[in-house]
Amino acid sequence: MTVSVSDALVPEAVARSPRRRTVARHRRPSTVLTVMVWVSLAYFLLPIVWLVITSTKSNADIFNSFGLWFSRFSLFDNLQQTFTQDHGVFGQWLLNTLMYSVGSAVGAAIFATAAGFALAKYRFVGRRLIFSVILGAIMVPGTALAIPTYLLFSALGLTDTPLAIVLPSLISPFGVYLMRVYAAEAVDDGLLEAARIDGAGEFRILYSIALRLLAPGIVTVLLFTLVDTWNNYFLPLIMLNNPALFPVTVGLTQWQSRASGGGGAQVMFSSVITGSLVSVLPLIVAFLFLQRYWQSGLGTGGVKG
Amino acid sequence: MSLAARPVRRRASIHRAQARTGVLLVLPFVLLFAGLFIVPICYAAYLSTFIDRLVGGATFAGLANYTRVVTDPHFWAGFGRVALFLVVQVPIMLCVALFFALAIDSGRLRGGRVARLIVFLPYAIPGVVATLMWGYLYGPNYGLLSQITQALNLGSLNLLSSGNILGAIMNIVCWEFIGYNMIILYSALRAVPAELFDAAEMDGAGPIRVAVSIKIPAIRQAILLTVIFSIIGSFQLFSEPSILGVLAPNAIGNDFSPNLYAYNVAFVNQDLGYSAAIAFVLGLIIMVISYVVQTLTNRKAGGE
Amino acid sequence: MRTALRRWTAVGALSGLAIAALAGCTPPTPGQAGAKSAQPASASEMKKALNTPTTLTFWAGVPGIEEEAKLFEQKYPKITVNVVDPGGASVLYQKLRTALKAGKGAPDIAQIEYQFIPSFRVTNSLVNLAPYGATSLKSKYVGWVWNQVADSTGVYGIPQDAGPMGNLYRKDVFEKAGITKAPATWDEYAKDAAAIKAKTGNYISDLPGSDPGQLIGLFWQRGAKPFTYDGKKNLTIKLDSPEAQAVVGYWQGLIQKGYVATSPDFDNDWYKALTNGTYASWPTAAWAPLFLQSAVKSTSGDWRAAPLPQWTAGANVAGNWGGSSDAVITGTKHPLAAYAFAAFLNSDPASTKLLATKQFLFPTTTATLSDPAFVGQKSAFYGGQQVNQQFSDISKTVDEHFDWPPITDYLFSSYTSTLGKAIAEKGDLKAGLSAWQKAVVAYAKQQGFTVS
Repeated sequence: MTVSVSDALVPEAVARSPRRRTVARHRRPSTVLTVMVWVSLAYFLLPIVWLVITSTKSNADIFNSFGLWFSRFSLFDNLQQTFTQDHGVFGQWLLNTLMYSVGSAVGAAIFATAAGFALAKYRFVGRRLIFSVILGAIMVPGTALAIPTYLLFSALGLTDTPLAIVLPSLISPFGVYLMRVYAAEAVDDGLLEAARIDGAGEFRILYSIALRLLAPGIVTVLLFTLVDTWNNYFLPLIMLNNPALFPVTVGLTQWQSRASGGGGAQVMFSSVITGSLVSVLPLIVAFLFLQRYWQSGLGTGGVKG
Repeated sequence: MSLAARPVRRRASIHRAQARTGVLLVLPFVLLFAGLFIVPICYAAYLSTFIDRLVGGATFAGLANYTRVVTDPHFWAGFGRVALFLVVQVPIMLCVALFFALAIDSGRLRGGRVARLIVFLPYAIPGVVATLMWGYLYGPNYGLLSQITQALNLGSLNLLSSGNILGAIMNIVCWEFIGYNMIILYSALRAVPAELFDAAEMDGAGPIRVAVSIKIPAIRQAILLTVIFSIIGSFQLFSEPSILGVLAPNAIGNDFSPNLYAYNVAFVNQDLGYSAAIAFVLGLIIMVISYVVQTLTNRKAGGE
Repeated sequence: MRTALRRWTAVGALSGLAIAALAGCTPPTPGQAGAKSAQPASASEMKKALNTPTTLTFWAGVPGIEEEAKLFEQKYPKITVNVVDPGGASVLYQKLRTALKAGKGAPDIAQIEYQFIPSFRVTNSLVNLAPYGATSLKSKYVGWVWNQVADSTGVYGIPQDAGPMGNLYRKDVFEKAGITKAPATWDEYAKDAAAIKAKTGNYISDLPGSDPGQLIGLFWQRGAKPFTYDGKKNLTIKLDSPEAQAVVGYWQGLIQKGYVATSPDFDNDWYKALTNGTYASWPTAAWAPLFLQSAVKSTSGDWRAAPLPQWTAGANVAGNWGGSSDAVITGTKHPLAAYAFAAFLNSDPASTKLLATKQFLFPTTTATLSDPAFVGQKSAFYGGQQVNQQFSDISKTVDEHFDWPPITDYLFSSYTSTLGKAIAEKGDLKAGLSAWQKAVVAYAKQQGFTVS
């Protein structure tokens, strides 16, 4: 069953080996379209604008003032509060998130590239089976695996360590899928065959020819896994107990939950909101600089132009 | 003989070397995959054959947990909810994503690059943070959206009530994933060869006509990909209701989505076996539906 | 091809082996390891334990409780206490249960709320502290608080903080409605509610459908005893007793007349409503005054504290909402040191005083509850009132006995879809109450308890 899933998922645009439209044609800009699109962009910006404005307010003003306008400006107090609360653990959280996501993304990209390239370009027994099982894996809900994985990791002494977060993030079935499709398209069989006839070894071929051709695809997988791990909440919530190891998502919800009454309760909305803003900034900046790779990696035809 | 045999043998050895390289390349992933996916899943399957009780502990029960899932009204209530979610939210999200992708690809949009980035931006925001933000905005009395409707004399807006909560979650998921889907579709559009629609444009076909009759059919497989991912995502709905549940505890029950139910059965009720059975039944349903959607789409495409 | 195949079989065999290894063990059942009961410890054994280099792990959801742990470390320099907040109170139990299931990674000591003690006892996860001398601590604590951690079979935690219930109200809003003193009875409360609604348009209070803690505290005040549990298999569940019905019926009336709001508590909207006077009062616990003071700073001076309204005029009875103990977890390698820490933290005068004044935990020891440094504090937020004195007095009036079931997780989680839902949607509360009773009974039976 999953075999046919894999077949159908190979995008036609990819399989057809298209030619890229290198230069965007000069067309007459449409005012109607421009207005329509830009008005609807307000929807995407609204929560972000709210976040930015609210992060400049004190706890009391969050409850007192209109959501989309400024009140007494206390962004710097909030920042100071956020970074000094609980002995400055927030900075540690940011650092953890960064390390987990970069480690996972690099590892996942390496494994996915190797596997995807092999599945696309080499014939060996079990090739189709492996690919189908990997695709089937996308369909199993993560919650099903949470406790079994926890119990296994616990037996191996891996819970409450960074490895508990990084290891599971190293396997990216979607990454393998993407790299298989990408390699099939971007790396020409004739080129490999010619290199072999010249006597180049398989790994030399991979290293000096294929890798360069695969680069945009690799970057895409890298970015997807980076975002996935950056945004990961469920896995670290289960695996980690020590706040010094938390990524920023788990840490912020911990602060948020302190407001819910009982002995020792604290209201930390301003820290949570300011912390949220700080935590999304690095990814937004990364997007600004790397966005063209997403597109070129996904629209696999791009390499050929 | 020997002369003729040599190239054959040589080709055979090249093949063997290739197969070996292929296996070597795929092996690290497969080993990790086996350890981190196959083993836990087998363990979960094994656990699902036990009934876990506070008094008496775990006892072997064969397939009893599975028959319990099939007749569990909580499971089906959650299932019905995500099915409704799927039928309503996914088409809206994908149509909007497709609209943006086509608009930006058309080259008729001023500031297309900036627009593309803004639509994509929410994807960079962790689901946890996104849900927290929308939660603040939804507050029935003093949330931003209510503040706005009150200022317009429209009364307050309770988006967290039982009747509205599914729509409120749909909105959050749309906000998070329109950009993600748009990028996939836009990338596919960029790969559509220009000669496909140049001719049509020369014949005087308008941009809408070109989009509907040339571009959309050309990226059919990319659309199918986003549909399949959205089906999987909908059935696995978890973080949004689980975080929003703190703000709307009476509208979002333990069984709001099958995945949330499986989580609560495992972590609140401490019944690992039953939780695993729920997850397996859910996984099976997802596979069947994805398969049906694909065959239907492909058959339809084949018939054209 | 052959090589490839062989490698494949190797991979298959490897994962097969791992699965076989797993299948060898039955599903994890918590508490099996340490089910044997503790041996009485002599003074010399205790002394030895406290002079052996030891690291204890303590899970707690109280920010800053490291300070009190340091006091212990100063007294016993050989012992290091590692204080960990595993992600807030809401996930502490989930993580503790998962770690207990895995048989690894659980702490030596954990902060556990009173209502969850039986749910850890049923899985044999708490060490009975009586053999280590915990019974001798009984006289230090308020009677009803001690009953929350101990019964005839043993002592399962050391009380850390409590939440005897009183009534915090907005003096300014009450005065606007022409009311000059806090309601002494629930009848008076209903009359005040009508006046507040009529004169100011505000609600007298909010009854949340999100968490049953407050309502159960009010059941407690009314004398309801919804549960009895023998620590093993036998469980009585009477959530719909006449006392509980009376409480629920009372609030039904106020909700229907529009005097009481039914929004969730502790969310953004709720704080705003407390800030702007939409909720004129909050029947709440002793941990609330300081919490409120930090949460809604801008209303400083407007609040006052009073005892809960009474069911019969002239009576003086309170209930309890919240509070927690520190329990020693089964499987600890250092039960003696762990017990010594839990006992020190919650009975040493310097430590308990610091808990009360620095961590804002409401005290459980009679000594701190009568310490002038604590009860004499005047709070500007409450117009100079001695709020601690007020709640210290209330603490003496809490009904002595109230038992919790071993299925509190389910009790709380099913509330939101039964009685809680009826409250939130302003529906039939009595029907909601019996739906709750039915759901809890069904779950208890399914879990193998003998329910009566």
